[in-house]
Amino acid sequence: MRLHISSLCVRYGKLTALRDVTASADGGKIVCVLGPNASGKSTLLRCIAGLQSPSSGKVLFDGSSLLRLHPRERASKVAWVPRSSEVGGRFTLRHVVELGRYAIGPSPARVDDALATVDLLDRADTIWHEASAGMKQRASIARVLAQRTPGGLLVLDEPTSALDLRHIRIVSDVLRKCALEGDLVIAAIHDVALAINLADTAFVLRNGDLVLAGQSSAVLSPSSLGDVFGVDLAWATDDGGKRHLVSP
Amino acid sequence: MRSKHIFVWIVLLVVLGACCITRLMLTRSTSGELSLAWPETTYIDYRLVPMLAAIIVGGALGVSGMGLQVLLRNPLASPWILGLSSGAGLGVMASMMIAHQRGIGIPEGETIGAVVGALVALVAVYLLSRGRGGLDPVTMVLVGVVVSVICGAGIMVLQHLVPMGLRGSFTTWLMGSLPETMSYTRLGILGGVVAAGTLLLAWWGPSLDAACLSDDEATSVGVHLPSLRFRLFCVSSVLAAVGVIIAGPIAFVGLIAPHGARLLLHSNHRMLVVGSAVVGAMLLVGADDVRQLVDLGTGRLPVGILTSGLGGFVFLLLLLRGRGKV
Repeated sequence: MRLHISSLCVRYGKLTALRDVTASADGGKIVCVLGPNASGKSTLLRCIAGLQSPSSGKVLFDGSSLLRLHPRERASKVAWVPRSSEVGGRFTLRHVVELGRYAIGPSPARVDDALATVDLLDRADTIWHEASAGMKQRASIARVLAQRTPGGLLVLDEPTSALDLRHIRIVSDVLRKCALEGDLVIAAIHDVALAINLADTAFVLRNGDLVLAGQSSAVLSPSSLGDVFGVDLAWATDDGGKRHLVSP
Repeated sequence: MRSKHIFVWIVLLVVLGACCITRLMLTRSTSGELSLAWPETTYIDYRLVPMLAAIIVGGALGVSGMGLQVLLRNPLASPWILGLSSGAGLGVMASMMIAHQRGIGIPEGETIGAVVGALVALVAVYLLSRGRGGLDPVTMVLVGVVVSVICGAGIMVLQHLVPMGLRGSFTTWLMGSLPETMSYTRLGILGGVVAAGTLLLAWWGPSLDAACLSDDEATSVGVHLPSLRFRLFCVSSVLAAVGVIIAGPIAFVGLIAPHGARLLLHSNHRMLVVGSAVVGAMLLVGADDVRQLVDLGTGRLPVGILTSGLGGFVFLLLLLRGRGKV
């Protein structure tokens, strides 16, 4: 399974959100998309998930465009988690997770499994509007876990922004597990330290340009990230000899 | 189905049945005394027809309201947000005025006027709300309000132009009232349309559930939103139009019935759609029962006044409880 993005441009009126982005990634990998605010991360993810038509350029998934597929067909190949989910009406978290099976067919076992994975099984009957931001985010992740087909594409826009440390670890682990089962996982991540730990491949955007792309260990260095984000960064080594990115 | 749901369904159907039987039996003597008695065969049609009409109109408005609340992502949406009732009102007014000026009676003039007026308003709302990705909910609410206001202005111009006598009969139409005579064939056809619309929306229940997610998420789980919105617009419009044809503009039933169903059933849309039909029917038959009890000495009130009055308070309550919480 291969994702190929070629000469992708997205314009909103006079504003250019993405400019001539070309990149590719293979199944079984975690790709982290990084960049300052308004650098085009969410737009890139929406294009990859087939939710937005580009002004020019293409996104090909195994050689074919996801935009042309009926949403029902697309849902079996791509699962999407937005930055913050919206749910109208009176739904429980379990019901929201069940919606992930809309196009594929009900599967209570998959829904229970997904809820258990994100540590929500015992609170699945909480009403969406009464749940905390972290619970909502975990429920959205559970929804795509119930929806995904191994070997497909998993696109997540800042999936850990509302989570505590333990749940960040849980979600990181589950994303790794999905990648091991052949999924291509693409996630926009704000936390650079988390991205360094999580990513196999990194795409770094600035003002709509893809300024860095490649193996994360090569691309994510203090000098390159410091330059993109406009801050001084350096490596620090802990007692165990592990390197961490710090802002001195 | 959980046992709680079965219990709620039984209660709903029993209450609906009780309202219907009360409507058939409630009698007011010439001296103004109320009693419950089975009517003589000669008079039964005068009670059966309004009762059946109330069930059909209430059900139609309830289901239409549910469809529109999902379509417009707005818990305060109701069939009148489409500009349909004011369009129909303008049509009825125009047909009355033409008949008066020509000095002729137009057979089915009011019905034809209502259908044409409603259709023109709907087509205008549809065309003006269409964006690149299909119907846009926010634009649609605004366009619906604007079309209503324009039709309202048209109604006032026509009212200003017609003689006093005609103004009275038109104002009565605007209040909304259940007919006491109507052929059973006609009621049967309109009832069939409402039943078919209800079943269609219930059939689409899982899509309605998924459409409660944001646009991107609904699309990503597999809903073709432009197509779903178009279908919801068509079915909800037809159902609301049936309501207007039978009873004129009955306010608030379309807003309250879906909320009632949600409060009672806490469920998925397949059940909520049918629930809205039952609650809508119950509300309108119930309001018609209450209407029989009120005697202001000027004849019985049109049922639309009751639904507006009571509905207004419930609407305020919903507003105060906060959006999306009920």
